[in-house]
Amino acid sequence: MTLRVTQSMMQTQLLRNLNANVRRMSERENILSTGRKINKPSDDPVGITYALRYRGELSMNEQYQKNIDAAKSSVEHTDTILGQINDVILRAKELATRGLNGTNPQSALNAISSEIGKLYEQLVTFGNEQLNGKYIFNGQLTDKPPYTIDGAPGESTDTEKRSFQFAAGVTIPINVTGNEVFGSGTESDNLFRVLKELENAFSSGNQAAASNWMDQLNGRLEKFLQVRAEVGARANRIELMENRLSALNLNLESLSSKTEDADIAETIIKLKTDENVYQASLSAGAKMIQPTLVDYLR
Amino acid sequence: MRSTFHGIETAKRSLFTQQAALNTTGHNIANANTAGYSRQVVNMQAARPIEAIGLMRSGAPGQLGTGVEFSSITRIREKFLDDQFRNENKSLGNWTIQSDTLEKLEKIVNEPSETGLRTVLDNFWKAWSSLSEDPEDLTGRRIVRESAIALADAFNMTSKQLKDLSADLTENIQIKTEQINSILSTVASLNSEIVRLEGLGDNANDLRDQRDLLTDELSKIININVQETPQGYTITMGGVNLVAGGAATPITVDTLTNAFGSGDLNNGEVYGMIVSRDRYVADYIRQLDTLANSIANGEITITIPEGSVLPDNITVNRVNPDGSTTPVTLTGAARTIGPGGLTVKVNGLNGLHKLGYPLVSPIQAGVDFFKSKSGGPITAEDFQLNPDIVNNPSLIATSLRTIVSGGSEEVVKGNNTLALLIAQLKDTKFQFGTSAGSLTEGTIDDYFRSTVGQLGVQSKEALRMLDNQKALVDQVDSRRQSVSGVSLDEEMANMIKFQHAYAAAARVMTTFDQLLDKVINGMGVVGR
Repeated sequence: MTLRVTQSMMQTQLLRNLNANVRRMSERENILSTGRKINKPSDDPVGITYALRYRGELSMNEQYQKNIDAAKSSVEHTDTILGQINDVILRAKELATRGLNGTNPQSALNAISSEIGKLYEQLVTFGNEQLNGKYIFNGQLTDKPPYTIDGAPGESTDTEKRSFQFAAGVTIPINVTGNEVFGSGTESDNLFRVLKELENAFSSGNQAAASNWMDQLNGRLEKFLQVRAEVGARANRIELMENRLSALNLNLESLSSKTEDADIAETIIKLKTDENVYQASLSAGAKMIQPTLVDYLR
Repeated sequence: MRSTFHGIETAKRSLFTQQAALNTTGHNIANANTAGYSRQVVNMQAARPIEAIGLMRSGAPGQLGTGVEFSSITRIREKFLDDQFRNENKSLGNWTIQSDTLEKLEKIVNEPSETGLRTVLDNFWKAWSSLSEDPEDLTGRRIVRESAIALADAFNMTSKQLKDLSADLTENIQIKTEQINSILSTVASLNSEIVRLEGLGDNANDLRDQRDLLTDELSKIININVQETPQGYTITMGGVNLVAGGAATPITVDTLTNAFGSGDLNNGEVYGMIVSRDRYVADYIRQLDTLANSIANGEITITIPEGSVLPDNITVNRVNPDGSTTPVTLTGAARTIGPGGLTVKVNGLNGLHKLGYPLVSPIQAGVDFFKSKSGGPITAEDFQLNPDIVNNPSLIATSLRTIVSGGSEEVVKGNNTLALLIAQLKDTKFQFGTSAGSLTEGTIDDYFRSTVGQLGVQSKEALRMLDNQKALVDQVDSRRQSVSGVSLDEEMANMIKFQHAYAAAARVMTTFDQLLDKVINGMGVVGR
């Protein structure tokens, strides 16, 4: 059966095709101007669930990066302080060695004793070191100074760690406690006690006691160096986390981009094709719609 | 015996008939763009010849033609195509509405974006993670408070938008009902008018076109069945009578709702609206409520690390190695968690928050973090941050540890265990309960993602169905246009045809005029 074609049919068809062309162009235009091929869930229902996951992880990684930055500054600060404590210990050792060589008059020993006393005070100040208003050596009791100038040799700090979150399920402690650095109040080689006793021994000229405490000082130095090494290792671990995080970020970004981002070149070429088709349909429409028999009847 | 003026009569009939055809051509051209108009034709036939069989029959040979007459003016239309059109049109109406609603839902969900619910949720977990860096500070608490308020606002607003959409659909059903009633009463009155006119033997072409157009319109709104009876169209929707002859049965929103329930209403725009409202929108409201409630109260399994001190006299559901739980009440030394930690089941962020200690003195256990505005169960609509916390951010608990100092128990402010646990809730599996749909266990993000994914699938499907249906309706309509539409070329050709026939008939008339002139004025005047 031959189809009878009427003007209104042609107009409807032309309009429908023009509409379809314009709609396609507008979709491409939207993709180009947002740079994304997923602009609403229905554009790619499966893709969007991945896109949302990547976005969520990327955004959380931002926070982890901040946590890492804070942890790094805290660990670095701890390391600096430990370095200074190291200097104090070495100086105390030097002084004690000099005091123990048996040729010093009492006046010289008094001077040594007095300097060790100063080092002790210096050490208590280090023990009460604060970062951002928080006592760094007092575990979780960050609002309380762990040491007093008079009682430091017998004082212990809080032993709990303060942990930061660096990835989903990964927390790393970032502090060392005073007990680890100086020894707890009950340990015989508590650094404060050692210095205090050395001070006393030299001021009273008791070489035997001084020699004994000198041994304790060496023992403490061993332990102290271990703690320093541990802090260094922790700094490395945090740095490792940071590297992993940035690698992960790169990965996620490329995945996210693959899922969400439009292929601009491809889209532009398709848009150009669509434009051509649109132009063609317009000019065909103009030629087709205009004439009827009316134009030729006189 | 033939009349002298027989030829004039024949010519006159021709003139009249050709003129009627020309008039109809004019009518067709005039209505070339009228919606629902079907082209009309004048059905011509040769008039009855004289010399019928009978006693009065003259002896003259042959039957002499008496010219032309038209028996009727009819419209060209195929009822089959009308039925087909209405059948496809109802689905078009249905999918138009469904696709439209789902598109609006996509706008409300607003993903992927940097302003949607996902971002607000992320910010909330990030604020907790940030607070865990400085658990002693009020600043971090304020940030958590603000992000919790933003989260509550996002839930409230999304819920309100969904409920508005639901209300809009209800209102639209009301409007459609009025439209249906107006169409029904017009069709009924057209029915009786057409019956009256056609009783006189005419074809009520234009009125029929109007009636068909209205029926087409109605077929998009609801599923209808149309039957032509001697009384006019009988229209039913499933088992519900809408129009019978000149009587229309007005319908109400309740009629439609009941018909939806009974299956009588199973397609068309109104069907699409009810489906959209009661399935899609209601489902997303429910999912959003589940999400909001799960964050606050959904069951989670948490391991409380060693060294934590839980509030005095608290009862927790300890998880046994076989997965079952035993309620244990902790007092005295048992409050301090030993090596290996303690794995417990708690109810959401609220349950977890209650295990900790806010920065207030004297010591107290944490309060509910989220509350419902109405006091009932938490839904997205009345989800809010506990007003006490809004007024006093110190009530946000981050610490899971206390010490006894100077004889009184006090909070360890530097303990961030609870803040860490809450920040990790982003990756913790929640129980969503039985009403949650397919996903009963997963992280909050999982749930949200599955909601968005589901919406995407539904919307894409609806859009695909809409495109298909549009193509089908267009195709049937173009078949219909092919049969009934006015072709200007054709009308022009017809016009010339009729014009020439008219001119020729006039010429015949003139010839007879000259003929008779000869008889009347030229004969019998010999010698005058």
